[in-house]
Amino acid sequence: MPLRTTFRNAARLAGAALAASAIAAGPAVAADPVNSHPLKDPHYGDVLFHFYQEHYFTSITRLMVSQHFKRVDHHVDEAELLRGGMLLSYGLHREAGDIFAGLIEKGAEPPVRDRAWFFLAKIRYQRGFLAAAEDALGRIENHLPPELENERVLLKASLLMARADYAAAAAVLKGVTGKTGAGPYARYNLGVALIKNGDIAGGFAFLDALGTAATPAVVVGQENPATEEFRSLRDQANVALGFTALQYNNPSAARIYLERVRLDGMHSNKALLGFGWAAAALKQPDQALAPWTELAQRDPSDSAVLEARIAVPYAYAELKAFGPALDGYNEAIAAFERERVGLDESIAAIRAGKLVDGLLERNPGEEMGWFWNIRELPDMPHVGHLAPVLAQHQFQEAFKNLRDLRFLSKNLAQWQDNIGVFSDMLANRRQAFAERLPDIRKRAGAGASGLGALKQQADALATDVARVEADADAAALADARQRDMLARLARARATLATMGDTPEADAARARYRLVSGALTWQLAQEFAQRLWDAKKSLQTIRAALADAVRSDAALAQAQHDEPLRFDAFAARIAELDPRIKALIPRVAALGQEQQQAVQELAVAELERQKERLAAYTVQARFAVAQLYDHAAQKETGHAPKP
Amino acid sequence: MFQRSLRVFVAALLLGLTAARFAAAADAPAAAPAAASAPADGLDSRIQDVKGDVIRLNRDLLVLEEELLFPANTQVALFVSMDVGKLFELDSVQVKLDDKVVTTYLYTPAEVKALHRGGVQRVYIGNLKAGEHTLVAFFTGGGPHERDYKRGATLKFDKGTDPKYIELQIKDSTGKLQPEFDVKVW
Repeated sequence: MPLRTTFRNAARLAGAALAASAIAAGPAVAADPVNSHPLKDPHYGDVLFHFYQEHYFTSITRLMVSQHFKRVDHHVDEAELLRGGMLLSYGLHREAGDIFAGLIEKGAEPPVRDRAWFFLAKIRYQRGFLAAAEDALGRIENHLPPELENERVLLKASLLMARADYAAAAAVLKGVTGKTGAGPYARYNLGVALIKNGDIAGGFAFLDALGTAATPAVVVGQENPATEEFRSLRDQANVALGFTALQYNNPSAARIYLERVRLDGMHSNKALLGFGWAAAALKQPDQALAPWTELAQRDPSDSAVLEARIAVPYAYAELKAFGPALDGYNEAIAAFERERVGLDESIAAIRAGKLVDGLLERNPGEEMGWFWNIRELPDMPHVGHLAPVLAQHQFQEAFKNLRDLRFLSKNLAQWQDNIGVFSDMLANRRQAFAERLPDIRKRAGAGASGLGALKQQADALATDVARVEADADAAALADARQRDMLARLARARATLATMGDTPEADAARARYRLVSGALTWQLAQEFAQRLWDAKKSLQTIRAALADAVRSDAALAQAQHDEPLRFDAFAARIAELDPRIKALIPRVAALGQEQQQAVQELAVAELERQKERLAAYTVQARFAVAQLYDHAAQKETGHAPKP
Repeated sequence: MFQRSLRVFVAALLLGLTAARFAAAADAPAAAPAAASAPADGLDSRIQDVKGDVIRLNRDLLVLEEELLFPANTQVALFVSMDVGKLFELDSVQVKLDDKVVTTYLYTPAEVKALHRGGVQRVYIGNLKAGEHTLVAFFTGGGPHERDYKRGATLKFDKGTDPKYIELQIKDSTGKLQPEFDVKVW
C-alpha cells in the first residue's frame, strides 16, 4: 500500500533524525537503573517490573507510594535517580533537576552521583544552559556505565560544537572513535566536526569510512532495528559527502558518493536529486534525466520530488528537446496547482480536528510514555502531506504532550469515580461501626453468657478446685461412670442398712466393701492427674476470659478511635476531591490549547510546503516564458541571448 | 546563468538539509544548538506543571487507597520474582491463601522479560487477620526439554500486626538442572 510505504519511510526518517541528534535534542532517556542486585526491598522490584515494561506512569506513582511508606529504604538513592529519570522523560525538568542536585548534595555513591551529574548536564543542555551543562559534565568521574559514557562523549562534543569549538569537538570524538565498538554516530559527528573545523580531507576520510562500512551482522530470529538504523546513517554520510563535494565543485566525486545511497532508503530522494545535479554540473543532462525522472514520480510531499518535476524539463531544455521541456514545465505547473488545492484541503481538515482525532484513534497506547511513536496515519484527505509533518521531532513531541494530557484526563476521571467510591465505603464503615459495635459490646457484657457472668463462673470454679485440692476430695473429680457407680454404691449402702444380719446380707456387705474400696482406690489413683487437668482447664478458661476482656477493651478503644480514623480519612478525601476537580478543567483546557498548537505545527509545515510549491511554480512559469521567448526568437531568426 | 543558479541551488539545498530533519553534511551537530537554545514555551511549561501535579495527586490517592483498603495491620502482599529462570518459561501462577484461590495470573512475554531483568511483580495485595495461615502457589509453564511443568510451593506463616510481604521465587538449580520454587518471607 503506497500510503503505508510512504509512512514507513517517514517514520524511519523521523527515527533516524531523532537518533542522529539523540544527544542533542532527543528525549531524556533514563538508562537502565543502577544495578540493584541483590534486591533488598521487594517493592523496589515492583517499581522495576513496571519500569522494564515501559509503564512509566505506573512505575513512577508506585515508586512514590513506596517511598511514602518507606518501603524502598534499602534503595533510596537508586530509587531517587530512577524517579528523576522518569520525571525528566515526562519533561519535568525542574523537579528532575532538584532530585539530581539533591543526590549530589547528599553525597550519594559515585555511580549514582555520576549519573545524576550526567542527567543534570543533559537537562541544562536541553534548556540551553550550555556553560552549566559543561560544568556538570566536567564533574563526572569515571563511574558511568558504557552506554552512558558514550552518550557523555557525544554530549561533550555537541556542547563544544554548539560554541563552534570544532577542533576540541573533533579531539573529544577522536578519543571515542579510536575505541573498539565506538558508535557510528560518534564517527559521523567527528567527520562533520572536522569539516567544520576546516579539515576537509580528514572529515571526508571519516565520513567516507562510514559511507563504505559493512552493515553489522543480522542476528537470525531477532529484531534488528540497529541494522536499518546503521544503513540509514551510512546513507546519510554518503548524502552528506555528496552534497559537500557538490558544494566544493567536485561533481565527479559527488556522483560516486551519491551512488552508494540505497534507492529505497529515506535518504534516496535527496541522493537522486543530488546525483542529477552532479550530472548537470558535468554537462551531462542526459545522465541527470534518469534519476530525476525516477524521483519526479515519487510522493510529492517531499520537496526533492517537487524540485525533480522542474528539473526534468530543465534537463530536456539542456538537451535542446524544447517540446518535452515545455510539456514538462506545464505538467509541473498543473501538478503544483493540484498539490496546492490538496494542501488547502489538508489544512482545512487539520483545523477541523481530523488530524488529532484520527491520530489518537489509530495510535492507542496504555500510558504516558516517551518511547511512544505514531505508527498509523489517520484517515483523512491527502494523507500523504502528513508524512513530513509527522516526521518532525517537534510535532512528535507536541503530539506526545497532547496524548499525555488525554491520558491524564482519563486518569483523573477514573479517580473522580474512585474517590466517590471511597466516600461511600467510608460512610458504610462508619455506619456499620456506629450501629453494630455498641450492640456487640452490649451483648458481650450482658446476660448469662456475658463477660461478667463468665468471670463469676470462673471464680466459682476456681474456689471449687481449691477446696477439692485442700480436702483431697477425689470423688469431686470422678468421671461420669464413676459418679454413676458412686450413686449406685450409695443406694446399695442404704439398702444394706435396712437388711438384717442374714448370711446373704453379710455376703452383700462384703461385696459392697470390696467394690467401694476398689472405687475409692481408683479415685485416689487418678486424683493427682485429674486435679492437674482441672487446674489446667481453669487456666485456659482464665486465658480465654482475658482474651475476651482484651478484645472487649480493643472494641472499646476502636469505638473511640475508629470514628477519629474515619474523620481523618474523610478529611483526606475532602482534601483530595477538590484537587481532582480543579485539575480536570486545567488538563482539559491545556489539552485544547495543545491540540491547537499541534494543529498549528502541522499547518505551518503544510504552509511551508505551499510556499515551496509557489516558488517552484514561479520557477516553472519563468522557464516556460524563457522557452516561449526562445521559440519566438527562433521564429524571427534572432538567436537567443545567453 | 544556469551555473550560477545551480550553485545557489546547491548551496540552498545544503542549507536546507542542515536545518531540516536531515542533519546532512556539515550540519548534523549544528542542529544541536538550535534544539538546545529553544526557549521554554509557556504552554509547554504549564503542561509540565500539570503533569507534576497529577503525578503527585496520583501518589496521594494511591496512598489513601492503600491505607483505606489494605491497612498495615492486616495487609499481606505477594510478589513473584525470577532469578535467571532459564530452566523455566513462566506461563501462569495461581495462589491459594488458606485454601482459597486469591489470584490466578497469566503472564505476557513483556512481563516475563521484565521478571528476567530483575523486576518483581506484586501479584496480590489483600488482607489477613492475625494468626497462622497457609499459602500454596502453583507455577505452570515450560520446564527443561520443553516439557509442560507444574510445581507448587507451600508456606505456613504467622501474620502479626505488621504488613506481611511474601516473595515467590523461581530459581534455576544448576546442580539438578531443574527449576526451583521457593518462598521468602520479608
